[in-house]
Amino acid sequence: MLNFLKRIFSNGQPSSRSRANDRLRVVLTHDRVGASNHLMETLQTEIIALIARHMEIDGTPEVRLITEGRHSALDISIPLKGR
Amino acid sequence: MAKKNPDCQVYVVTSGKGGVGKTTAVANLSTGLAKQGYSVVVMDLDIGLKKLDLILGLENRVIYDIVQVVEGECTLRQALVKDKRFPDLFMLPAAQTRNKDDLTAEQVVEVCKELRPDFDFIIIDCPAGIEKGFQNAIAAADKAIVVTNPEVSAVRDADRIIGMLESAEFRDIKLLVNRIRPDMVRRGDMLSIEDLIEHLCIELLGVVPEDSGVVISTNRGEPIILDEKSSAAQAFNNVVQRMMGKEVPFMTLQEESFWGKLKRNFGFGR
Ligand SMILES: Nc1ncnc2c1ncn2[C@@H]1O[C@H](COP(=O)(O)OP(=O)(O)OP(=O)(O)O)[C@@H](O)[C@H]1O
Ligand SMILES: [Mg+2]
Repeated sequence: MLNFLKRIFSNGQPSSRSRANDRLRVVLTHDRVGASNHLMETLQTEIIALIARHMEIDGTPEVRLITEGRHSALDISIPLKGR
Repeated sequence: MAKKNPDCQVYVVTSGKGGVGKTTAVANLSTGLAKQGYSVVVMDLDIGLKKLDLILGLENRVIYDIVQVVEGECTLRQALVKDKRFPDLFMLPAAQTRNKDDLTAEQVVEVCKELRPDFDFIIIDCPAGIEKGFQNAIAAADKAIVVTNPEVSAVRDADRIIGMLESAEFRDIKLLVNRIRPDMVRRGDMLSIEDLIEHLCIELLGVVPEDSGVVISTNRGEPIILDEKSSAAQAFNNVVQRMMGKEVPFMTLQEESFWGKLKRNFGFGR
C-alpha cells in the first residue's frame, strides 16, 4: 500500500533506487544458489514436463526462486485440471 | 602497554569489491579505539598493495613487514610500528614488494596468537577479492565487518562475501555502509540503509556518509575521526562506541517520511 502511494507521488516513473532494488533482488537470489537464468529455464521446462507426464496441467505453471532472509527456496506452482 | 580487557577481539574488515573504504574504516576505527584508551594493533594484509601506512600517516616509520616476521628476518615486536598520536596503537605493515602467496593462513593465525595477549583489539585490513588474500585475512578473525557502498555492484560483492564468511562459520558479521548520500537517497537515486539491510540480511554496525573531508585527511595522513566536527568522524565514533559494546542510536540519515513527501507534493512547506 505504502509502496503504491509512493509510486503515485513519484510521477509514475520508478526511481533508479527502486530499479536497483528490483535488480538486486533477482541477482542476489540467483547468486546465492549459483543458478543462472539458463538453469532456471531448464528447471522449469523439465519440472513441467515431468508433471505433465503424470497429471494434466491447467493454466500457467511457475518455477522460481524465492528468498527468506539469506535462505533460498524453489517455489513451484503448477495448477492442475480437476476431474 | 595498557590492555583494558582480558580477552582480545579480532576483527577483519572486508568487502569483496575494491575501493569501498576498508582501509579508511580500519584506520579510523583503530584510531578511535586507541583514543578511548584501548590497546589496538592493525594488521595490513593487503600484501603488495599496501595503503594503511599512508592513511595512518606512518609510512616513514615502517622498517619491517609481516612477511619478514613470518620468514624470521625480524621479531614481531621489531615489525610493529608505533602510532604518532596514540601510544597504544600499533601497525603491522604489509610487504609492498611481495604478493599474497608469500603468506599462509596458518602464519596469520600464528601472528595473531602472539598478539592477542597484549591487545584489546586486532583489526585486520583485508585486500579486495575472494582469493588467497581474503582467506588469509579471515583465518585468524572471530568477527567480521563487511564494508559496502550503496551501489548495486558493491552490494552484490558484499552478499558474496557474507555467504563465504557464513561458510567459514563466522557468527558475528556486521555491515558498515560507507559513502551514503542522504540527499540522493531522498531523491530516489540511491539505495537506502533499509534497502541494504533488506538485501543483505545482516546487522548494521554503522553508516558513514560521503564526506570530502576523507580525501583531505588522507592527504595529511591523519584519520578523519580526529576531526570531530566532520560528519564522517561522528559516524566512525558511533561505530567505535558500538565496538566497545555500547548501544548508540543510528544517525538520522533516514529517508524523508511519507508525510514529508505528501506535503512536498501538495506544495505545503518548503
Ligand atoms: N566516506 C567517504 N567519503 C569520501 N571518500 C571516501 C569515503 N570513504 C572512502 N573514501 C575514499 O575512497 C577511496 C577508497 O578508500 P579505501 O582505500 O579506504 O578503500 P579500500 O576498500 O580499502 O580499497 P582497496 O580495495 O583498494 O583496498 C579513497 O580515496 C578514500 O579517500
Ligand atoms: Mg584497502
